[in-house]
Amino acid sequence: MTALNELRQLRQQRGGTTVKPVTNLRKSDGRAALVFLAPWFLGLFGITLIPLVASLVLATTDYDLLTAPTFVGLDNFTAMLSDTRLHQSLKVTLLYVLTGVPLQLVVALGLAVLLNRGLRGMTFYRSVFYLPSLLGGSVAIAILWRQVFGQDGIFNAFLGWFGIEGMGWISHPDTALWTIVLLHVWTFGSPMIIFLAGLRQVPEMYYEAASLDGASRWRQFRSVTLPLLSPIIFFNLVMQVIIAFQAFTQAYVVSNGSGGPSDSTLFYTLYLYQEGFSNLRMGYASAMAWVLVLIVLLLTAVNFWASKFWVFYED
Amino acid sequence: MQVLGRSAPARRLTAVTAAAALALGLAACGGDDSPSTSQSGSGDDQVTIRFSWWGSDTRQQVTQEVIDAFEAKYPHISVQPDYTSWDNYFEKLNVGAAGGDLPDVITQEERFLAEYANRGLLADLDELGLDTSAIDDAILDSGTTDDGLVGVASGVSVHAPVADPAAFEAAGVDLPDDTTWTWDDYEEVAAAISAGSDGEYYGVQDYSFLEVVLKIIARQNGEEVFTEDGEVGVSQATVASWFQRSLDLQASGGEPSASVSTEVQAQGVEGSLPATNAGAMAWFWSNQLEAIQSAAGRDLVLLRPPGEADAQRTGTYLKPTMYYSVAAGSDHPEEAALLVDFLINSTEAGELILADRGLPSNEDVREAILPLLSDADRVGAEFVTDISETVVDGTPVPPVGSGETTQITQRINSDLLFGRLTAEEAAKRWIDEVSAAIS
Repeated sequence: MTALNELRQLRQQRGGTTVKPVTNLRKSDGRAALVFLAPWFLGLFGITLIPLVASLVLATTDYDLLTAPTFVGLDNFTAMLSDTRLHQSLKVTLLYVLTGVPLQLVVALGLAVLLNRGLRGMTFYRSVFYLPSLLGGSVAIAILWRQVFGQDGIFNAFLGWFGIEGMGWISHPDTALWTIVLLHVWTFGSPMIIFLAGLRQVPEMYYEAASLDGASRWRQFRSVTLPLLSPIIFFNLVMQVIIAFQAFTQAYVVSNGSGGPSDSTLFYTLYLYQEGFSNLRMGYASAMAWVLVLIVLLLTAVNFWASKFWVFYED
Repeated sequence: MQVLGRSAPARRLTAVTAAAALALGLAACGGDDSPSTSQSGSGDDQVTIRFSWWGSDTRQQVTQEVIDAFEAKYPHISVQPDYTSWDNYFEKLNVGAAGGDLPDVITQEERFLAEYANRGLLADLDELGLDTSAIDDAILDSGTTDDGLVGVASGVSVHAPVADPAAFEAAGVDLPDDTTWTWDDYEEVAAAISAGSDGEYYGVQDYSFLEVVLKIIARQNGEEVFTEDGEVGVSQATVASWFQRSLDLQASGGEPSASVSTEVQAQGVEGSLPATNAGAMAWFWSNQLEAIQSAAGRDLVLLRPPGEADAQRTGTYLKPTMYYSVAAGSDHPEEAALLVDFLINSTEAGELILADRGLPSNEDVREAILPLLSDADRVGAEFVTDISETVVDGTPVPPVGSGETTQITQRINSDLLFGRLTAEEAAKRWIDEVSAAIS
């Protein structure tokens, strides 16, 4: 609802401005535009829309990849109600999203505030802090992670200096998921960059006024920075929740594709992949994919609804 | 989105991030394509066929040499290699099958052979005129379904404990007499090694991640994990005793803690306890001895499975290491069959492949390559030859859906090792889940 209102408001604003719509578009321009847009359309239809529709159709079938699908109606969806591994995968994914995303945003915001101080060599630090985001999604880092948190890993060696005996963090069902959450938090680069850009938008005069009023730094942060930054925080929150729900690579590599130990890192997407490609239940996997879409849609809607209570717009 | 309605810089920023996010999403979706389908070459009768297999870099190099030799012999055929690691081989193949894009010659494995054959995806090699005269009937049977000879085994292996004599020596424990030892001996020996070597060596690596060991135990008890009729034929009591032994070994210190066991299991052949000089015994296929030995850097031996002497019957069976199949939809089935013929029947190919794909199923080729084998491979080959005298029969082709057993076993076993299930509960769950997978 809010989004619609926003759009309406935006339209009205546009209508009132002096920007004239471009007229006299010549025919050849239109054709040229189509040519330039063609690759995008190809992608949109070929690898987004058509598979999207196909997967919706497959969701209502029993399809083993090797023989033609047969229609089964909503059987795939009712089967999910009693699928304990599916429930486990939902639990794992929700835990990951609900802990990983807020933690990552806090770290990103904290570092953005520190980096916004105009330190010497700022660009260098910015690049350094962005590095994990470039690497974090890669298979190489996931493999490295397995080494770092393994029984003989660097992390245990580090604990050893303090006389603490480590454990196999990746191979223990109680801790494996948290190592992946940590990997997610570590890739705070892109929300950090967005926060930095947002911080640059906050007019200096507010801080000047606040400090004249004797506001402490913490007070300034709470009463000036946070409210003005809240639309950006909201944006990051929405985006990161969506991205986190799609997490796959890290869990796949860290657990060797099994989601183990004991399904403790069985992400929803990983289970979907196993069902579709290893266990030859593509119909069920397609249905799972659509349930994931619905869950993400629902959570995003809740996010938008909740934003009314905490996101502050200046104008 | 709400953010879009705000100031110009914020809007631009949002658009850029949204675009970036979208691009990322697309990049994640568009994986690279498998090599193109087989098609006729430019010449008149020049044909191209595609051959897929899984495995290590060494296998890739060797196979390429075999392909070169084949192309030299049949200049009108060119072979396009298509290989990946074992982990995602079948995922890739399944997708190819869905798109009607199977390789002409497919390396197959026991678990998916029936799956593919039942769906009419594999050609009958007898019909294509493949010469199988030098291959034992029992081995041919293992690749025969109602649809005919759908796969011919490259070679055979047996599953058995690999042992490190140096570890036994360090712990002051004698190597057991493997023609008579029992499962209780196995437990005692393992505990004695862990105790005797002051923690330098574990006795054994956990065996209940591997359903193949259960297969051997079931056969020793006169059962089969999967029966001829494609049902679960192993009793819950047998499965429970198999799991219980893991728990007992864990308690006695004969095998590592749950966490270490899980980690070692995930590291495959090269990370196994004997390969890293960290344990005295671990279960493997006989054709993997070479790889473990070269990682360990010292001589290892193969032991016969415990309980073979005092059980109802022996459990060991010769497992076809892998199969060669021809796709039913191949455009060039004759040429594909020629390649399969070259792979299994020619000494030239045999001398390149050696024992990498199991001890060759073709007995003439086997004779020819024995003198050429490396030490570890020769130990493996002699072991297979000796133990095959005790083998009673083969195992039935596993039913459709049995490919999931590996996953199910690993999952339940880690719950067991971490104390989340008792052996009884684990056994019940195992039977339930495996039955559901093949129903």
